[in-house]
Amino acid sequence: MEELSWHIMDIARNSLEAGATYLKIVVDEHTADNQLRFMVQDNGPGMPDYVQKRLLDPFFTTKTGKKVGLGLPLLQAAVERCGGSLEIWSRPGTGTRVTAVFPYFCWDRPPLGDIPRTLTGLLAGQESLHLYYRQTYDGREFIFDTAEVRAYLQGLPLVTPGVLVWLNQYLGEGINSLYGGGRNEIARRAG
Amino acid sequence: MKSLAELDKLREEIQREMALREKKEGIKVVVSMGTCGIAAGARDVIAVLLEEISRRNLQDVVLTQTGCAGLCHCEPLVQVEGPGGEKVTYGHVDEQKAREIVAAHLVNGQVIKEWTVKEEGERV
Repeated sequence: MEELSWHIMDIARNSLEAGATYLKIVVDEHTADNQLRFMVQDNGPGMPDYVQKRLLDPFFTTKTGKKVGLGLPLLQAAVERCGGSLEIWSRPGTGTRVTAVFPYFCWDRPPLGDIPRTLTGLLAGQESLHLYYRQTYDGREFIFDTAEVRAYLQGLPLVTPGVLVWLNQYLGEGINSLYGGGRNEIARRAG
Repeated sequence: MKSLAELDKLREEIQREMALREKKEGIKVVVSMGTCGIAAGARDVIAVLLEEISRRNLQDVVLTQTGCAGLCHCEPLVQVEGPGGEKVTYGHVDEQKAREIVAAHLVNGQVIKEWTVKEEGERV
């Protein structure tokens, strides 16, 4: 995966495919502590024990029509490459939470990447999804909540392409302002 | 910088446009967003499709997503389902191809045959 935001999208897609209607995504960047942490939490059905035991097995999946489940194993590999950590918490009937911690300054860490496209991509076609996103960068904070957006839309579907395109720009500006107006990392790396 | 309060204006604009346009039979566009799709760049395909559908004001098009379709080696996959239920699946779609699929297929009804893949068969 080229970007951490691809991993975030992948985990969040698992939540949606499992039937979650609420997603909470948090990204915390603490350069002073040399830490980048992200969390994806859902209100889905949670995972039974036998599934939780095999989450990091690339040849295990609960989905039909395929024989591999690479999402979490790929995230685990990315975390291990940098000496970070991965925590997966899940309880049947309550939901699932995936937390990944990376060193902020690490040659092997994928860049965070394009969060606005990840969030609007997740929202595309998902009118019943309540998405809450919070990002912090060295104490500055940006919050995005679809409940607030829907209040402004007064019944116009949030998934209307014109709305999602506008939200993509809105998210871009909001997140950019966390970094003082200019990104401080390269959006894509070679290779 | 944008503020959410501007959504009021956007909402009014979109609703005015919607009232003017006649709603036709719908076209459904489905992007595969399994791990394989995401790793192949499907997120940026969705972003471009949204931009093009919005820019061209295609109100009869519904964009949605699905999981792994079992054709991982052809990702990113975009399936276009016409009003009559006929389905066409495009494989190895990138941002440029996505723009052309909107122009040729969604706007003009022309299938770009050389980019299509067989839905059944070669399953992984």
